[in-house]
Amino acid sequence: MTLTHCLLLASFLFCVGVYGLLTRRQAVAVLLSLELMMNAANLAFASFAHFKGGPGQVFVIFALAITVAEVAIGLALVMLLYRRYDDTALDRASEAKG
Amino acid sequence: MSTLQSWAALAVLAPLAAALLCVVLPPLRKAGKPAAALCLLSSLVSAGSALYLLTQHETGSVSRTTIPWIVFGGKAIASIGVHVDATSVVMLVVVTMVALCVQIFSTAYMHDEKPSSYGRYFTLHALFLFSMNTLVVAPNLMQLFAGWELVGLTSYLLIGFWFQKPSAAKASVKAFWMTKLADMGFVFALLVLFVATRGFEWSARLSTETATLVTALLFLAVVGKSAQFPLHVWLPDAMEGPTPVSALLHAATMVAAGVFLIVRADPLFAQAPATRDVMLWIGSGTALFAACLALVQTDIKKVLAYSTCSQLGYMVAALGAGSAFAGFFHLGTHAFFKALLFLGAGSVIHAVHSNELADMGGLRKKMPWTALTFGLGALSLAGVPGLAGFFSKDHVLSELEGRAGWIPWALLMLTSFLTAFYMGRVLIKAFGGAPSAKAHHAHESGGAMLLPLFVLAVPAVGAGFFGGKLAEWSGAEYHLHLGLTPIVASCLALGGIFAALAVFGRGKTAPFTSVLEGLDRASAVDRTWAGLYRHVLLGVSAVMGFIDRYVVDGLMNAIGYSTIESGASVRRLQTGRIHDYAMAVVVGALLIVLWGVLR
Repeated sequence: MTLTHCLLLASFLFCVGVYGLLTRRQAVAVLLSLELMMNAANLAFASFAHFKGGPGQVFVIFALAITVAEVAIGLALVMLLYRRYDDTALDRASEAKG
Repeated sequence: MSTLQSWAALAVLAPLAAALLCVVLPPLRKAGKPAAALCLLSSLVSAGSALYLLTQHETGSVSRTTIPWIVFGGKAIASIGVHVDATSVVMLVVVTMVALCVQIFSTAYMHDEKPSSYGRYFTLHALFLFSMNTLVVAPNLMQLFAGWELVGLTSYLLIGFWFQKPSAAKASVKAFWMTKLADMGFVFALLVLFVATRGFEWSARLSTETATLVTALLFLAVVGKSAQFPLHVWLPDAMEGPTPVSALLHAATMVAAGVFLIVRADPLFAQAPATRDVMLWIGSGTALFAACLALVQTDIKKVLAYSTCSQLGYMVAALGAGSAFAGFFHLGTHAFFKALLFLGAGSVIHAVHSNELADMGGLRKKMPWTALTFGLGALSLAGVPGLAGFFSKDHVLSELEGRAGWIPWALLMLTSFLTAFYMGRVLIKAFGGAPSAKAHHAHESGGAMLLPLFVLAVPAVGAGFFGGKLAEWSGAEYHLHLGLTPIVASCLALGGIFAALAVFGRGKTAPFTSVLEGLDRASAVDRTWAGLYRHVLLGVSAVMGFIDRYVVDGLMNAIGYSTIESGASVRRLQTGRIHDYAMAVVVGALLIVLWGVLR
């Protein structure tokens, strides 16, 4: 297993995340896709740290902590979305239409 | 500040205090009588201090106190203060005495007004007296200009005092814009003077060209203020104001401010012989022209208004001949007898409720005291030997002897005959003959109106004997002599009166009436100005209005409109759908990556 394999896996995960972000309509699914993209980036950090050295793993720890906060806010938004529209489909929240 | 200057400052500030009190305390002004009492008190203080200054004056004493007014770069370029010398002291006495008499007269004349407009009337009078005194004691041309504009404002407000009358409102606007047009000359004169000398002193030394320019511009302002040809047309219309206002502003003091300005700025005018020549011709021409028009007026106030134009012409001509003293002397005597005549006319108008000479007649029996004092004023104006008008007019004519080929002298001599003739006509029409229908019920005016007439009759008769003293103070030559001018002038004055008796005594109309009325119409001065106003001024205003509406406002509107339109056209980009925004983020990120790779 080389650095290339790891980076290929990370980019595959990232693309899956982007695909999910753009296609899913449910807010929870979109949040999951975001998590996937985040973790793809973490994987890339960790891989570089493992094969090339450097402080990449520290960034992973920090990124995880931030992700937790992000998920907390994201889920709170989902709750509010549900209260307002009785649904978690993002299409409903289109009041910013110009 | 010495004692004398304090008294002069008191004469200026007392009316200001009264006017301010009446302005900031509306209940006081609207009560009418208390406001009038306050303003009369302030005028009394003003007149008292002016008289005290006169008694204290010594030959050749000149003093001034100034405080910086317009400070620029740490240096005062104009100051404000009082200047006490023979000219300002004598003028101060003339102005405050006439103002006091006119205000006392007004208490009775304006009796029928509502309390609020009664108070407004006296407030404006106090404001006028302050403005005029500011002008008179001015230590430099800048303060003189401030007073000049203030008297113009009060003149506008007082002509339009009965603003509900359309003719009065029109007359006030006409007076305002005619004089403002001329006042542009004053503004430019101040500018040129400042550029040349860095100051506003009338004693400045200038090159001949600059002096000619400055004095010509100043003279333009004088032509407007003192109603000289061709800007005289506002003065007859200004008679729409209350009669005491005509007596004070438009006969005795405000219109004489123009002449006062030339007397003040005499050192400047002395450096500009060309301007003086123009003044000589305009003054003598106006004197004759206005006297001709006075001959055919049917309204007693209009006769006196044209007569004022004519007499101001004498003063301007005297100043044009280089004799500031002669002009100033005539200014002083004229102020007294013309105020007397106007107040007498006011007394008559009050009794018969009409301005028309045809509605009067036979009033000598009904109103003997008015007839006596008016008659004295008329004889003084006509220049009957021994009365005040004779001395000053005689001195003006003596100064003109032999100048410019005797023509201005001859014009003024002819005017002198006409003056006696038209005053004789007024006397006979108003006081002689049989009473008209309206005059039957006339009765003598009350004490408050007669007292000022008696007071003014004293200087109107005797002010001429003050000439020697005034000449001594002004440092001018003045002595009575039995030469060509006094003899011819006396004969013409008496001749004019007898001619009037011969012509009008039998109830005839003036000779050449149709010719003179034709002159009035054909002169077309009034119509020229009206045409200029209608076509040029309103035309320029229309162009300005178009530019303002479609260029200045148009630019603003275009900016606003284009903002709204561009906003509307890009609003479609905002779909409100979260996936579209996410897509934009992704595409943007990809583009950045692509840019990084391709670079």
